Amino acid sequence: MENQSFTLPKKLINVAIGMVIIGLISLAYGYFGGLGGERIAANLLMNNVYFLGIALIGLFFVAVHAIAESGWQVSVQRIGEAMSAFIPVAGVLMALLFILGGMHALYEWTHADHMDAILLKKAAYLNIPFFSIRFAVYFAGWIVLAHLIRKTSAKLDLNGEIFYFNRLRMLSALFIVFYAVTSVTSSWDWLMSIDAHWFSTLYGWYIFSGMLVSGVAVLIIILFILKRMGLMTHVNDEHVHDLGKYLFGFSIFWAYLWFSQYMLIWYANIPEETVYFYTRINQFGTIFYLNLVLNLIVPLLLLMTRNSKRMFLVLLPVAIVVFIGHWIDLYQIVMPGAVGEGAGIGLLEIGLTIGYAGLFLLVVFRSLSKHPLVPKNHPLYKESLEYHTNY
Amino acid sequence: MNKYITAYYNDEEDLLKGIKQLKSKGIDVADVMTPFPVHGLDKALGFRRSRLTRVAFIGGAIGGLTGFLFQAWVFTKAYPLNFGGKPFFAVPSFIPVTFEMTVLFAAFSMVIAFFIRSNIGPGAKTIIHDERSTDDRFLLVVDIQEDEEVKQVEKALAEAGALGIQFKA
Amino acid sequence: MYVSPIREPLIKGNKDYSQVTKDILAPMAGTPSKYWYMGMTIAGAAALFGAWASFMTVFYGIGTWGTNKTIGWAWDITNFVWWVGIGHAGTFISAILLLFRQKWRTSINRSAEAMTLIAIACAGFFPLIHMGRLLLGFFIFPYPNTRALWVNFNSPLLWDVFAISTYFAVSLVFWYVGLIPDIGTVRDKAKDKIRKAIYGFLSFGWTGSAKHWSRHETISLILAGLAAPLVLSVHTIVSFDFATSVIPGWHTTIFPPYFVSGAIFSGFAMVLTLLIVTRKALHLEDYITVNHVESMNKIIILTGSIVGIAYLTEFFMAWYSGVEYETYAFFNRAFGPYAWAYWIMMTCNVITPQLFWFKKIRTNLVATFIISIFVNIGMWFERFVIVVTSLHRDYLPSSWTMYKPTIVEVGLYVGTLGLFFTLFLLFIRVFPVIAIAEIKSVLKSSGEHQKHADHE
Repeated sequence: MENQSFTLPKKLINVAIGMVIIGLISLAYGYFGGLGGERIAANLLMNNVYFLGIALIGLFFVAVHAIAESGWQVSVQRIGEAMSAFIPVAGVLMALLFILGGMHALYEWTHADHMDAILLKKAAYLNIPFFSIRFAVYFAGWIVLAHLIRKTSAKLDLNGEIFYFNRLRMLSALFIVFYAVTSVTSSWDWLMSIDAHWFSTLYGWYIFSGMLVSGVAVLIIILFILKRMGLMTHVNDEHVHDLGKYLFGFSIFWAYLWFSQYMLIWYANIPEETVYFYTRINQFGTIFYLNLVLNLIVPLLLLMTRNSKRMFLVLLPVAIVVFIGHWIDLYQIVMPGAVGEGAGIGLLEIGLTIGYAGLFLLVVFRSLSKHPLVPKNHPLYKESLEYHTNY
Repeated sequence: MNKYITAYYNDEEDLLKGIKQLKSKGIDVADVMTPFPVHGLDKALGFRRSRLTRVAFIGGAIGGLTGFLFQAWVFTKAYPLNFGGKPFFAVPSFIPVTFEMTVLFAAFSMVIAFFIRSNIGPGAKTIIHDERSTDDRFLLVVDIQEDEEVKQVEKALAEAGALGIQFKA
Repeated sequence: MYVSPIREPLIKGNKDYSQVTKDILAPMAGTPSKYWYMGMTIAGAAALFGAWASFMTVFYGIGTWGTNKTIGWAWDITNFVWWVGIGHAGTFISAILLLFRQKWRTSINRSAEAMTLIAIACAGFFPLIHMGRLLLGFFIFPYPNTRALWVNFNSPLLWDVFAISTYFAVSLVFWYVGLIPDIGTVRDKAKDKIRKAIYGFLSFGWTGSAKHWSRHETISLILAGLAAPLVLSVHTIVSFDFATSVIPGWHTTIFPPYFVSGAIFSGFAMVLTLLIVTRKALHLEDYITVNHVESMNKIIILTGSIVGIAYLTEFFMAWYSGVEYETYAFFNRAFGPYAWAYWIMMTCNVITPQLFWFKKIRTNLVATFIISIFVNIGMWFERFVIVVTSLHRDYLPSSWTMYKPTIVEVGLYVGTLGLFFTLFLLFIRVFPVIAIAEIKSVLKSSGEHQKHADHE
């Protein structure tokens, strides 16, 4: 089988750049149209966190399968690796957002002038210097490890030396340990501290599970685009089926964590906790319930049968729905605290997301075009080609 | 009582090849007994995908609905009681039991359907052609309609590499 | 199915199919060894101690226990949660690892599942005995009665009833459906008439017909798909017992996934404890190899680390929340009168499993055995810490108190341990400890023989 290297098609570049331009226009519209700094900052944060999370899941996907020594995923490993190329871009954009006044707009705890007793108690964690240090540590770790994993994987591809295979596993283990901690703490920093008075121990895992689902959904979408380009011919129905199972299973897992968090707070009925859901249900009711429909009911019902997981005809629409669904989940996480009643889904929200998606596509496909799509020297590659499941 | 011929193979790959050969000669294999599920045998024998999954789905749906509606009925109609100021129709509280009932009904309906469909159950009497078919032999059964066929089938089996060919009536 | 040559064989020795049958059925034949009798005697004695304690509890009442007006839940619920947790590994192995196509599970799933069932039975004993009147145990189920009363569907304790009975029932069915083909093998290998008749009855008339296998595979898969969320739900619901309350240290949203992870952690520790001995005693080293142990150890690292992260998250949030009761509860755990229990828990659950990062340690059977015992102890203390430290100093300082178990409570716990080992010892005599048919189905792709053939 040939290497399936490809040069970036002009059309794809044009489309992606067009999307970025739409994003910039809607940002300008937001700025000059007087939608307010808070809403713009909240949108930037939300999209940044969303696409960063997806990029990290790309790497997580590669890392988990490397340490589990799974064979089947080798065929789609390149996509996961390429997704992680977005991490540095997200880092720069996010740093810019925070430096250019985003922090003040988003986080109540940065307002030194009106801190209340509870926020003062948290000041040892929620303060700008420590926040910045954590920010730097997260991105340094993620970028370095992502780079090393991609490099090792590329070297493994040259001659399939077992040395690089083992090194890849070691790096993956390192990344997973690092990510296990940082994914939780970064979600506290960037998302939970928007509602600075509120707290939930499950929060970090809940955010992670949502990212996991949307990461798999994006992986499926990218795989579809590549297949449409006539590439990735070695990926057959069995691989698609496995990705479909992930999308199905993780959606249920996400719903499980959603329920665990919601039910416990609903049941105990302590005001300082219920305030979080109270505002969401009363002010963002439609979004709140839509979240469950898109992210649980749709994948649960549509992906239940075996055939639907094997056909792009069903799987792709579900992946897109889930991708949008988790965007909406993030929307209801960020907006009530950061913007409040001024929030809404308009040109700014939609345009900016399209812009981010365009940028993401551009970065990921540029990375994809650099390496052969078929990691044919991977020790488990043949296993990936020849496997087929009865189920 | 019907008549049939049994034969066996010592290896599952020989079995699959043998079945293919017999098929090309137009001989239908009535049944195959193997010590473990042989990969690709379903396809070779032309089995359709089992529909037991649908039983599980229906069973699960019935279980889940029963569980949910029963709880709702108890709390809103039969004996409404106030527990800690919670609403009578307390959906989050109903989820765990609904879920458990779904799983319970789905699992049991499917397994029971499996036993009924396969005609097996506690103490079921079935014919054991060869005691080693649960150990290391891959057994073939070919039904015989007319006595003239016997020779022909036996020959075909021998050509297909089968061992221990026996005619049973 | 192609398997890469870099993978270690799952089954050692050049086995053929009949050798597999012979090896796995060997422990069931003949008279038991003297070690078996010794084990049985010790386990039986422990069970008798438990029987005495149960008698005391039922005859004299719950007053024989050390619980008091502040600490209404202590020893009993600790043991209950501990046993339920142990009962998570079996179904995890056979359901979730099946879905993830981990072939190494074939060597351990049967015995781990049996262990699950026994552990759930031991767990179920505690809620029953704490009712004081065992005969009225059926009150927990919703059934039409003359008082027109129904159970409280708002109560997590009731959810427990549903979760655990469903879990037991579905696990039993899953286990038995998997066992049927192997009972067929036992029946066909049995020499004497009585054995043949008994196993013939139990085999449900299994013949190994291709159509049956086809259906069997389908339902095993769907059962796995059903059992996977079921495993998660059981300990989730057990965690709701605590987390729905407003007791500091109990009411925290991380409890459900953290309890599940802890359950799988302790379950694997118990599987390791049992199997390291079993493989040796029953000469099954070729089937349960060091590779299997290593794989299980990796799961121990994973789940142990998740538990560790959850501990730290809880601790951090107790401070971050700014709620003084919550902060105090955690401070009290770590530095209060029960600090010793807390630090035992921390050491056993967070630090010892990290030793498995070293390949030398995770492939060493003695080290693994010792660490698995540590984890078992640590997980018991985790539940003890959660239950007792949160209760003994709650909102009202005037009723702060301490808890100490009585001999009767110790007896109940030791008794379930005795019951557990008794039943497990019986199991290894009555049913094949390893899934014969499943081993055979991976023998060609993952057996040692095939591996060599590939290289040549």
